[in-house]
Amino acid sequence: MNPILTILAMALVTYLPRLAGFALAGQRPSPFFLRFLRFIPITVFAALVVPALPGNAGELPIRLVAAAAASLTIWRFGNLWLGILTGMGLFWLLRLIT
Amino acid sequence: MAFWHGLKAMAPLWLGIIPFGMAYAVTARSAGLSLLETQLMSLVVFAGGAQFSAAGLFSIGAGSLSLVLTTFLINVRHFLYGLTLEPRLKLSRLEKIVGAYFLTDEAFGVTIASGKRSFAFLLGAELSVFFLWNASTLLGSLLSRAVPDPQTLGVDFIFPLTFLALLIPLIKERVDLTVAVFSGALALAASQWINAGLTILVEGVLGSLIGALWTGRAEGGRRA
Repeated sequence: MNPILTILAMALVTYLPRLAGFALAGQRPSPFFLRFLRFIPITVFAALVVPALPGNAGELPIRLVAAAAASLTIWRFGNLWLGILTGMGLFWLLRLIT
Repeated sequence: MAFWHGLKAMAPLWLGIIPFGMAYAVTARSAGLSLLETQLMSLVVFAGGAQFSAAGLFSIGAGSLSLVLTTFLINVRHFLYGLTLEPRLKLSRLEKIVGAYFLTDEAFGVTIASGKRSFAFLLGAELSVFFLWNASTLLGSLLSRAVPDPQTLGVDFIFPLTFLALLIPLIKERVDLTVAVFSGALALAASQWINAGLTILVEGVLGSLIGALWTGRAEGGRRA
């Protein structure tokens, strides 16, 4: 099939679940469903972090150290910029010296 | 204004988005897609992980059906994002239609973390990513071989770092920590078997069910 048509079909199957979440969210969610939704960000963020943390370059130890430092910074100061800068700065530094 | 706040809230993530948009374009072009097709995918599919996979599938000459099916499986996780955002934002029909089109992991994450209950904020965060993703796709297409590999630069580390930074402030009670640790472990195990997008959907539903059941039992216990 023509790549353009394939790409448009890919767009459709991407848009539908994006829309379905908004469309199917009930007007009056049950207490159980609200508790379920409360955990979605926690579970999704954890699932975005853990498999991507090691990377493909065999740098797991320095990535773990940098991630721990970034976590402490966020926990202490609650600033996204500061957390990412700490993590990336330390990661690049450790890369240089190890 | 909320729109600008949303746009700017995404700024810490820009450094991670640009190299990936460029790297996607290089992968897509070397898979034989034209500049137009490469850009079209960023404009209408607009989902980083799925676009990378698609470029890889195009390069090995995969059929349309497997391209579309793989894309669906990677992107179906977005269902959870709309489901979670809607009770907080209470969007109109038009806002749902527009907001869904530009929805990404990043926009969901930053909007949830901000605690802002505003469509303008969500749209600002969404368009911040959309504009940058498409600009870097174009730049990558034009520069082609001169684009450095994100893995070599180490900027692929920004992605997990960002979501870690968004996760930490959400951990308020012991149950949150337990669910987060369980989710991370489950995702690591699941990602050995299924693609990263599907991992998030399966693990998100399972982890959140456990959280909901756990907190329900605790409330029942307090009442008793």
